[in-house]
Amino acid sequence: MASAVVATPVLGAQLQVKGNASRSSRSSASGAVAVRLNKSFSGLHSVDLSNAASSATSSFNVHAVKSSRAGSQRNPALAVVASAGEKKNILILGGTRFIGLFLARLLVKEGHEVTLFTRGKAAVTSQLPGETDEEYAAYSSQVKHIKGDRQDFDSLKDVIGGKGFNVVYDINGREGTEAEAILNALGDLDQYIFCSSAGVYLKSDLLPHREIDAGDPKSRHKGKLDTEALLESKGVRWTSIRPVYIYGPLNYNPVEEWFFHRLKAGRPIPVPNSGLQVTQLGHVKDLAVAFVKALGNEKAIGQVYNISGSRYVTFDGIARAAAKAGGFQEPELVHYNPKEFDFGKKKAFPLRDQHFFTSIEKAQAELGWEPEFGLVEGLTDSYNLDFGRGTFRKAADFSTDDLILEKLGKKTFVAA
Amino acid sequence: MATLQAAVSCSNVSQLTCNGVPSSSSRSSSSAVVSWLSPSSKFSSELRLSSVSSFSQSTSVLQNSSVVSQVRREALRPGKVGAARAATGEKNVLIINTNSGGHAVIGFYFAKDLRAAGFDVTILTVGEESSDKMKKPPFSRFSELKEVGVQTIWGSPADVGAAVGSAKFDVVLDNSGKDLDSVKPVADWAKASGVEQFLFISSAGIYKSTDEPPHVEGDAVKGAGHAEVEKYVSELGFKSWASFRPQYMTGSGNNKDCEEYFFDRIVRGRPILIPEPGLQLTNISHVSDLSSILTLAAQKPEAANGQIFNCVSDRAVTLSGFARLCAKAAGKEVEVILYNPKAVGVDVKKAFPFRPVHFYAEPRAAKELLGWTSKTNLPEDLKERYAEYISIGRDKKDIKFELDDKILEAVKQPVTV
Repeated sequence: MASAVVATPVLGAQLQVKGNASRSSRSSASGAVAVRLNKSFSGLHSVDLSNAASSATSSFNVHAVKSSRAGSQRNPALAVVASAGEKKNILILGGTRFIGLFLARLLVKEGHEVTLFTRGKAAVTSQLPGETDEEYAAYSSQVKHIKGDRQDFDSLKDVIGGKGFNVVYDINGREGTEAEAILNALGDLDQYIFCSSAGVYLKSDLLPHREIDAGDPKSRHKGKLDTEALLESKGVRWTSIRPVYIYGPLNYNPVEEWFFHRLKAGRPIPVPNSGLQVTQLGHVKDLAVAFVKALGNEKAIGQVYNISGSRYVTFDGIARAAAKAGGFQEPELVHYNPKEFDFGKKKAFPLRDQHFFTSIEKAQAELGWEPEFGLVEGLTDSYNLDFGRGTFRKAADFSTDDLILEKLGKKTFVAA
Repeated sequence: MATLQAAVSCSNVSQLTCNGVPSSSSRSSSSAVVSWLSPSSKFSSELRLSSVSSFSQSTSVLQNSSVVSQVRREALRPGKVGAARAATGEKNVLIINTNSGGHAVIGFYFAKDLRAAGFDVTILTVGEESSDKMKKPPFSRFSELKEVGVQTIWGSPADVGAAVGSAKFDVVLDNSGKDLDSVKPVADWAKASGVEQFLFISSAGIYKSTDEPPHVEGDAVKGAGHAEVEKYVSELGFKSWASFRPQYMTGSGNNKDCEEYFFDRIVRGRPILIPEPGLQLTNISHVSDLSSILTLAAQKPEAANGQIFNCVSDRAVTLSGFARLCAKAAGKEVEVILYNPKAVGVDVKKAFPFRPVHFYAEPRAAKELLGWTSKTNLPEDLKERYAEYISIGRDKKDIKFELDDKILEAVKQPVTV
């Protein structure tokens, strides 16, 4: 498979030539042997920004991608890419929690000046699981920090203004007013890149959601829609990224963690209704790369992009994939009717009980971006670097599970 | 339809069938009002030559026009028909077309699209011209093909040579066989007679079920039937070969009911009974989407060579959602009732026209390799389908709903007449 992510490796990095017979006619047609650069140990791979506008790659070759990946070696050596784009002075709003952790590292590696703007509640930098000491040292010594509160609009001009930032990555903005305040403090920008959400889409019988589809003015992500509208109305050079469900190591949203807790406890997994609801998970590292691909890309100005995995997945399928990822036995799935229960404020299942998935074709075509992780592979990465090491964000809470199991006459578990 | 033909400059079309016998007037298209030619159809009169195939050129909602649609618009300009045959080295395409079933309509649209794109076309329908099967659409409308210069012949795929005689073809589409036994003679004949490009209508039904939809070209398939054909054809050494995997189709001229099942119930105030959970995803594409993929493949044999193409639109719809869209198109309310076929004791294949599981493929290869874009727009397409449904008086037809009643009885719902 021809890949748009072709990087110039330094000596020592291994190149793995992908020989996939069933797609060889594609490779030869494009005139190039398909080459995949091994990722660095932390799973991040370097991005050649000059290829950002290159032609779309095979987006339907997921099967082949998976099979070649199974045997790929993780190479601890970093492959540094000479950036073809201009060096930017970047302000990241957020950057210390999840997406920003990976995004900031990629941007620093690309040679940009990167400053995180946070309240300082979390450590400005901390070593990521799987990150070598050298990698971490390189990052932490270069990334900068400004302490402050983006909600304190009046303070912003003093705190972040006049420092020469020409690009903003707004990872944690929720309302249009928040973006507006940042814009007022900073003046003209080369680009304002915003992390929105596919949650803005109006529910539909016709799927997948595409960027041209209507948003839902009543959704709880309305603030994201408002922000996009605000950016457009201000004549800003903006790009908006709409992820679906993000997963990966250090996820603070209990998506995969919810499944892993139950698998580890050997418990059945309660799934609402049929389990055939189709959704979409996207690995945080793929998302970070997409954010980088948007940078300096003229095609991306004024555009929104859905970013997630190349395949969709049923609820039952996520449970099975999570089991594979963690090396667990295939789980018992228990289906229940949520209407028959009152769970109070607790969530009995981490995902919205409906179809929820998007087409990523626009990003593939215009950003030259491809998701690298298949679902099982991505969940394995998350498991190996996070839950499988004994770390998680939210302790296991099986109270809603027990309500369900009891009502359905299934064996309930004694707390371990 | 008659007025339309007069408006088109190429009305003096070939009336010959393979035997040189003038086509029977009884097979001319139904004189019923073809309301899909009404002003609501969003294309100019210039395009009406292949009006049926460019049916859903609605520019609302969906994908922007692409280079592909531009090429199509140019190709649709009248003037080439009739003259093309005498001319110069236009490629000659043979379509071997099934005489019944969901795929029958594909050949009808493909033939028209090919003519508009400048190809010479012969359509070989399986069986006999005199067969009762020829009274149903699209066969009942073959005069439309003849009018644009398509040769219509009848014969057997087991002996294509006998049917086409000495005619030479550059491209062959087998839209008939479902297994190696039926396609092998066609493929062998094509290879032996120097056909350069062999195209095969397979089925998205061969994909193995998955936890991770959609079905994407390259995914594992069940080995028998169509898959065996694909393998055989791929090994025959054609200069170019490709396989096309369709799902469900809607469109005027369809041989098999699709949305009609839903309209039948909606106009009579009956509920739509759907195997639970109702959110199963499927692809219901306008057949012109399929024919445009096929036409692009014929126009770009190198790009298409050795490829599988999911022949579907790029939006899926849920089963309940489709019922709702049909109701909306009809301007009526609908009640959807979900049921468990096993619990009720009905054969779901007889009770419902679509598979009761996720059956969802995406046309990624067509988009990527052929630069194709989908034009299916179900909300608009279904309005036109509904108009035709009414125009042929099907809403007045006396239909028995025995299976529906059995299901309703089992789920203890009274039927309001």
